[in-house]
Amino acid sequence: MKGIEFIGKRFVVSGAGGIGAETAKLLNSLGASIILLDINEENLNNTLLSLEGTNNRAYICDFSNVDGIEQVVKLIATENGAVDGFVHCVGVGSVRPLKMSKYDFMLKVMNINFFSFVEIVRCLSIKGRYNSNGMNIVGVSALGAYLGNSTKTAYCASKGAMNAAIRCLAKELAPKNIRVNAVAPGVTDTPMARVAEDYGADSDEHKMILARQYMGVCQPLDIANTIAFLMSDMSRMITGSCVAVDGGKLSS
Amino acid sequence: MTQEEKIVLLEDMLELDGGSLTPEMELASIDEYDSMAKLSLIVLMDEECGKKLTGEQIREFKTVADVLNFMGE
Repeated sequence: MKGIEFIGKRFVVSGAGGIGAETAKLLNSLGASIILLDINEENLNNTLLSLEGTNNRAYICDFSNVDGIEQVVKLIATENGAVDGFVHCVGVGSVRPLKMSKYDFMLKVMNINFFSFVEIVRCLSIKGRYNSNGMNIVGVSALGAYLGNSTKTAYCASKGAMNAAIRCLAKELAPKNIRVNAVAPGVTDTPMARVAEDYGADSDEHKMILARQYMGVCQPLDIANTIAFLMSDMSRMITGSCVAVDGGKLSS
Repeated sequence: MTQEEKIVLLEDMLELDGGSLTPEMELASIDEYDSMAKLSLIVLMDEECGKKLTGEQIREFKTVADVLNFMGE
Protein backbone atom coordinates (compact mmCIF):
# COMPACT_ATOMS: atom_id res chain seq x y z
CA MET A 1 0.00 0.00 0.00
CA LYS A 2 1.19 3.48 -0.88
CA GLY A 3 0.99 6.42 1.47
CA ILE A 4 -2.22 8.14 2.45
CA GLU A 5 -4.19 9.99 -0.21
CA PHE A 6 -7.73 11.34 -0.21
CA ILE A 7 -8.26 12.42 -3.81
CA GLY A 8 -11.99 12.66 -4.52
CA LYS A 9 -12.93 12.39 -0.84
CA ARG A 10 -15.09 14.88 1.00
CA PHE A 11 -14.58 15.31 4.74
CA VAL A 12 -16.50 17.34 7.30
CA VAL A 13 -14.22 18.97 9.89
CA SER A 14 -15.88 20.65 12.86
CA GLY A 15 -13.82 23.32 14.57
CA ALA A 16 -11.70 25.53 12.33
CA GLY A 17 -9.08 26.70 14.84
CA GLY A 18 -6.10 24.92 16.42
CA ILE A 19 -6.22 21.17 15.77
CA GLY A 20 -9.22 21.58 13.45
CA ALA A 21 -7.41 24.04 11.19
CA GLU A 22 -4.31 21.85 11.06
CA THR A 23 -6.40 18.75 10.34
CA ALA A 24 -8.36 20.49 7.56
CA LYS A 25 -5.12 21.64 5.92
CA LEU A 26 -3.48 18.22 6.13
CA LEU A 27 -6.49 16.27 4.81
CA ASN A 28 -6.84 18.87 2.04
CA SER A 29 -3.15 18.62 1.14
CA LEU A 30 -3.67 14.84 0.75
CA GLY A 31 -6.41 15.51 -1.81
CA ALA A 32 -9.67 15.85 0.13
CA SER A 33 -12.31 18.54 -0.19
CA ILE A 34 -13.13 19.97 3.22
CA ILE A 35 -16.46 21.10 4.67
CA LEU A 36 -15.66 23.26 7.68
CA LEU A 37 -17.98 23.89 10.61
CA ASP A 38 -17.40 26.50 13.28
CA ILE A 39 -19.33 29.10 15.21
CA ASN A 40 -16.58 31.66 14.57
CA GLU A 41 -16.79 33.20 11.11
CA GLU A 42 -13.24 34.53 11.25
CA ASN A 43 -11.84 31.06 12.02
CA LEU A 44 -13.92 29.65 9.16
CA ASN A 45 -12.73 32.22 6.64
CA ASN A 46 -9.07 32.03 7.65
CA THR A 47 -8.98 28.25 7.44
CA LEU A 48 -11.04 28.14 4.24
CA LEU A 49 -8.59 30.55 2.58
CA SER A 50 -5.69 28.27 3.48
CA LEU A 51 -7.24 25.31 1.60
CA GLU A 52 -6.61 24.37 -2.02
CA GLY A 53 -9.22 23.47 -4.62
CA THR A 54 -12.68 24.79 -5.40
CA ASN A 55 -14.89 22.31 -3.55
CA ASN A 56 -14.17 23.39 0.01
CA ARG A 57 -17.07 24.87 1.94
CA ALA A 58 -17.69 26.55 5.28
CA TYR A 59 -20.83 26.52 7.42
CA ILE A 60 -21.57 28.36 10.63
CA CYS A 61 -22.64 25.97 13.36
CA ASP A 62 -23.41 26.71 17.01
CA PHE A 63 -22.34 23.50 18.73
CA SER A 64 -23.85 24.60 22.04
CA ASN A 65 -27.28 24.51 20.40
CA VAL A 66 -27.47 20.78 19.72
CA ASP A 67 -31.06 21.00 18.46
CA GLY A 68 -29.90 23.25 15.61
CA ILE A 69 -27.24 20.87 14.28
CA GLU A 70 -29.55 18.62 12.25
CA GLN A 71 -30.52 21.54 10.04
CA VAL A 72 -26.87 22.34 9.29
CA VAL A 73 -26.06 18.70 8.44
CA LYS A 74 -29.12 18.46 6.18
CA LEU A 75 -28.01 21.59 4.35
CA ILE A 76 -24.50 20.16 3.93
CA ALA A 77 -25.92 16.92 2.52
CA THR A 78 -28.22 18.77 0.13
CA GLU A 79 -25.55 21.14 -1.14
CA ASN A 80 -22.60 18.74 -1.28
CA GLY A 81 -23.89 15.17 -1.45
CA ALA A 82 -22.58 12.20 0.51
CA VAL A 83 -19.48 12.63 2.64
CA ASP A 84 -16.58 10.24 3.22
CA GLY A 85 -15.66 11.24 6.73
CA PHE A 86 -16.08 13.48 9.73
CA VAL A 87 -13.56 14.80 12.23
CA HIS A 88 -14.86 16.46 15.40
CA CYS A 89 -12.27 18.96 16.61
CA VAL A 90 -14.65 21.29 18.42
CA GLY A 91 -14.03 21.70 22.08
CA VAL A 92 -13.98 24.09 24.96
CA GLY A 93 -11.11 23.52 27.36
CA SER A 94 -12.73 24.85 30.45
CA VAL A 95 -10.72 25.29 33.62
CA ARG A 96 -13.10 25.85 36.51
CA PRO A 97 -13.11 24.80 40.18
CA LEU A 98 -15.94 22.48 41.21
CA LYS A 99 -17.35 25.22 43.43
CA MET A 100 -18.10 27.29 40.32
CA SER A 101 -19.12 24.34 38.07
CA LYS A 102 -22.89 24.61 38.22
CA TYR A 103 -25.21 22.53 36.06
CA ASP A 104 -25.66 25.11 33.30
CA PHE A 105 -21.88 25.32 32.88
CA MET A 106 -21.48 21.52 32.90
CA LEU A 107 -24.26 21.21 30.35
CA LYS A 108 -22.69 23.80 28.03
CA VAL A 109 -19.36 21.94 28.03
CA MET A 110 -21.10 18.61 27.44
CA ASN A 111 -23.15 20.11 24.61
CA ILE A 112 -20.15 21.54 22.78
CA ASN A 113 -17.64 18.75 23.44
CA PHE A 114 -19.84 15.67 23.45
CA PHE A 115 -23.52 15.94 22.49
CA SER A 116 -22.72 17.87 19.31
CA PHE A 117 -20.35 15.05 18.28
CA VAL A 118 -23.00 12.36 18.69
CA GLU A 119 -25.61 14.53 16.98
CA ILE A 120 -23.41 15.13 13.92
CA VAL A 121 -22.59 11.40 13.73
CA ARG A 122 -26.30 10.61 14.04
CA CYS A 123 -27.26 13.04 11.28
CA LEU A 124 -24.43 12.02 8.95
CA SER A 125 -24.92 8.26 9.28
CA ILE A 126 -28.28 8.39 7.53
CA LYS A 127 -28.49 6.70 4.12
CA GLY A 128 -27.57 9.06 1.32
CA ARG A 129 -25.58 11.42 3.53
CA TYR A 130 -22.47 9.23 3.67
CA ASN A 131 -20.57 7.16 1.15
CA SER A 132 -22.08 3.68 1.45
CA ASN A 133 -18.68 2.20 0.55
CA GLY A 134 -17.35 3.58 3.77
CA MET A 135 -17.16 6.56 6.07
CA ASN A 136 -14.55 7.21 8.73
CA ILE A 137 -15.18 9.27 11.84
CA VAL A 138 -12.60 10.60 14.29
CA GLY A 139 -13.41 12.48 17.48
CA VAL A 140 -10.73 14.58 19.13
CA SER A 141 -10.85 13.40 22.72
CA ALA A 142 -8.24 14.25 25.34
CA LEU A 143 -5.78 12.40 27.51
CA GLY A 144 -7.59 14.09 30.38
CA ALA A 145 -10.33 11.50 29.90
CA TYR A 146 -7.99 9.03 31.64
CA LEU A 147 -6.48 11.33 34.24
CA GLY A 148 -7.50 13.18 37.35
CA ASN A 149 -7.15 16.88 36.58
CA SER A 150 -8.50 19.20 39.24
CA THR A 151 -10.65 22.07 37.89
CA LYS A 152 -11.37 20.10 34.70
CA THR A 153 -14.30 17.89 35.71
CA ALA A 154 -16.58 19.08 32.91
CA TYR A 155 -13.90 18.87 30.23
CA CYS A 156 -12.54 15.46 31.21
CA ALA A 157 -16.03 14.02 31.70
CA SER A 158 -17.06 15.22 28.23
CA LYS A 159 -14.01 13.52 26.70
CA GLY A 160 -14.58 10.36 28.75
CA ALA A 161 -18.13 10.33 27.43
CA MET A 162 -16.79 10.59 23.89
CA ASN A 163 -14.45 7.63 24.44
CA ALA A 164 -17.32 5.50 25.73
CA ALA A 165 -19.57 6.63 22.87
CA ILE A 166 -17.10 5.79 20.09
CA ARG A 167 -16.95 2.17 21.22
CA CYS A 168 -20.73 1.91 21.03
CA LEU A 169 -21.01 3.86 17.78
CA ALA A 170 -18.23 1.78 16.22
CA LYS A 171 -20.13 -1.45 16.84
CA GLU A 172 -23.52 -0.07 15.87
CA LEU A 173 -22.32 1.58 12.65
CA ALA A 174 -19.93 -1.17 11.48
CA PRO A 175 -22.67 -2.79 9.33
CA LYS A 176 -22.87 0.52 7.44
CA ASN A 177 -19.11 0.43 6.72
CA ILE A 178 -18.57 3.29 9.13
CA ARG A 179 -15.53 3.26 11.39
CA VAL A 180 -15.46 5.44 14.52
CA ASN A 181 -12.28 6.26 16.44
CA ALA A 182 -10.83 8.96 18.65
CA VAL A 183 -7.46 10.52 19.29
CA ALA A 184 -6.48 11.65 22.76
CA PRO A 185 -3.95 14.47 22.61
CA GLY A 186 -1.73 15.25 25.57
CA VAL A 187 -0.65 18.84 26.08
CA THR A 188 -0.74 20.43 22.62
CA ASP A 189 0.34 23.88 21.52
CA THR A 190 -3.03 25.38 20.48
CA PRO A 191 -4.83 28.69 21.14
CA MET A 192 -7.15 26.84 23.55
CA ALA A 193 -4.22 25.55 25.58
CA ARG A 194 -2.55 28.96 25.64
CA VAL A 195 -5.66 30.56 27.16
CA ALA A 196 -5.76 27.88 29.87
CA GLU A 197 -2.04 28.32 30.53
CA ASP A 198 -2.50 32.03 31.01
CA TYR A 199 -4.42 31.19 34.17
CA GLY A 200 -2.35 28.36 35.50
CA ALA A 201 1.05 28.31 33.79
CA ASP A 202 2.90 29.06 36.98
CA SER A 203 0.95 26.50 39.00
CA ASP A 204 2.69 23.43 40.35
CA GLU A 205 0.07 21.23 38.73
CA HIS A 206 0.78 22.62 35.27
CA LYS A 207 4.53 22.13 35.71
CA MET A 208 3.90 18.56 36.85
CA ILE A 209 1.75 17.85 33.78
CA LEU A 210 4.49 19.12 31.47
CA ALA A 211 7.10 17.05 33.31
CA ARG A 212 5.02 13.89 32.82
CA GLN A 213 4.81 14.46 29.07
CA TYR A 214 8.43 13.42 28.69
CA MET A 215 8.66 13.73 24.89
CA GLY A 216 7.54 17.35 25.11
CA VAL A 217 4.50 19.33 24.01
CA CYS A 218 2.58 18.07 20.93
CA GLN A 219 2.10 20.28 17.91
CA PRO A 220 -1.32 20.36 16.16
CA LEU A 221 0.25 18.57 13.18
CA ASP A 222 1.13 15.60 15.40
CA ILE A 223 -2.56 15.19 16.17
CA ALA A 224 -3.59 15.83 12.55
CA ASN A 225 -1.19 13.15 11.27
CA THR A 226 -2.81 10.53 13.49
CA ILE A 227 -6.27 11.70 12.39
CA ALA A 228 -5.22 11.33 8.74
CA PHE A 229 -4.13 7.76 9.46
CA LEU A 230 -7.46 6.96 11.14
CA MET A 231 -9.35 8.53 8.21
CA SER A 232 -7.42 6.39 5.72
CA ASP A 233 -7.65 2.75 4.65
CA MET A 234 -4.30 2.14 6.34
CA SER A 235 -6.31 1.85 9.56
CA ARG A 236 -9.08 -0.23 8.02
CA MET A 237 -9.12 -2.76 10.90
CA ILE A 238 -9.20 -0.10 13.61
CA THR A 239 -12.56 0.96 15.02
CA GLY A 240 -13.80 1.88 18.47
CA SER A 241 -10.24 2.80 19.49
CA CYS A 242 -8.90 5.87 21.20
CA VAL A 243 -5.31 6.52 20.16
CA ALA A 244 -3.23 8.55 22.61
CA VAL A 245 -0.95 11.14 21.00
CA ASP A 246 0.55 12.33 24.22
CA GLY A 247 4.34 12.42 24.13
CA GLY A 248 4.35 9.50 26.55
CA LYS A 249 2.25 11.17 29.23
CA LEU A 250 -0.08 8.24 29.88
CA SER A 251 2.88 5.92 30.47
CA SER A 252 4.61 8.12 33.03
CA MET B 1 -23.59 46.21 43.35
CA THR B 2 -22.61 47.86 46.64
CA GLN B 3 -19.20 47.52 48.24
CA GLU B 4 -20.78 45.31 50.93
CA GLU B 5 -22.39 43.02 48.36
CA LYS B 6 -19.09 42.64 46.54
CA ILE B 7 -17.28 41.77 49.78
CA VAL B 8 -19.94 39.12 50.58
CA LEU B 9 -19.40 37.56 47.14
CA LEU B 10 -15.66 37.35 47.74
CA GLU B 11 -16.12 35.97 51.27
CA ASP B 12 -18.48 33.30 49.94
CA MET B 13 -16.04 32.41 47.18
CA LEU B 14 -13.17 32.09 49.66
CA GLU B 15 -15.38 30.26 52.19
CA LEU B 16 -14.62 32.91 54.83
CA ASP B 17 -16.91 33.99 57.67
CA GLY B 18 -18.88 37.19 57.09
CA GLY B 19 -16.88 40.25 58.12
CA SER B 20 -13.50 38.57 57.49
CA LEU B 21 -12.47 40.77 54.57
CA THR B 22 -11.68 44.48 54.55
CA PRO B 23 -10.63 46.50 51.49
CA GLU B 24 -7.17 47.32 52.81
CA MET B 25 -6.19 43.67 53.42
CA GLU B 26 -3.23 42.39 51.42
CA LEU B 27 -4.27 39.40 49.27
CA ALA B 28 -0.96 37.68 50.07
CA SER B 29 -1.98 37.60 53.75
CA ILE B 30 -5.16 35.61 53.05
CA ASP B 31 -4.43 31.86 53.16
CA GLU B 32 -7.61 31.01 51.28
CA TYR B 33 -6.57 33.18 48.31
CA ASP B 34 -4.72 30.34 46.55
CA SER B 35 -4.42 29.26 42.90
CA MET B 36 -7.82 27.56 43.05
CA ALA B 37 -9.39 30.75 44.42
CA LYS B 38 -7.85 32.73 41.56
CA LEU B 39 -9.52 30.41 39.06
CA SER B 40 -12.81 30.88 40.91
CA LEU B 41 -12.27 34.64 40.77
CA ILE B 42 -12.08 34.51 36.97
CA VAL B 43 -15.47 32.78 36.87
CA LEU B 44 -16.96 35.14 39.45
CA MET B 45 -15.83 38.22 37.48
CA ASP B 46 -17.33 36.75 34.33
CA GLU B 47 -20.65 35.59 35.74
CA GLU B 48 -21.37 38.16 38.45
CA CYS B 49 -19.70 41.25 36.99
CA GLY B 50 -19.53 40.57 33.24
CA LYS B 51 -15.77 41.22 33.25
CA LYS B 52 -13.00 39.24 31.59
CA LEU B 53 -10.12 38.74 33.97
CA THR B 54 -6.71 37.61 32.67
CA GLY B 55 -3.88 35.89 34.50
CA GLU B 56 -1.81 39.04 34.08
CA GLN B 57 -4.47 41.18 35.75
CA ILE B 58 -4.72 38.72 38.63
CA ARG B 59 -0.99 39.00 39.22
CA GLU B 60 -1.39 42.80 39.47
CA PHE B 61 -3.95 42.58 42.31
CA LYS B 62 -2.29 43.43 45.65
CA THR B 63 -5.18 44.23 48.02
CA VAL B 64 -8.85 43.31 48.41
CA ALA B 65 -9.63 46.85 47.25
CA ASP B 66 -7.93 46.13 43.88
CA VAL B 67 -10.30 43.20 43.38
CA LEU B 68 -13.33 45.24 44.49
CA ASN B 69 -12.42 48.03 42.07
CA PHE B 70 -12.09 45.58 39.20
CA MET B 71 -15.57 44.24 39.96
CA GLY B 72 -16.94 47.67 38.98
CA GLU B 73 -20.19 49.31 40.02
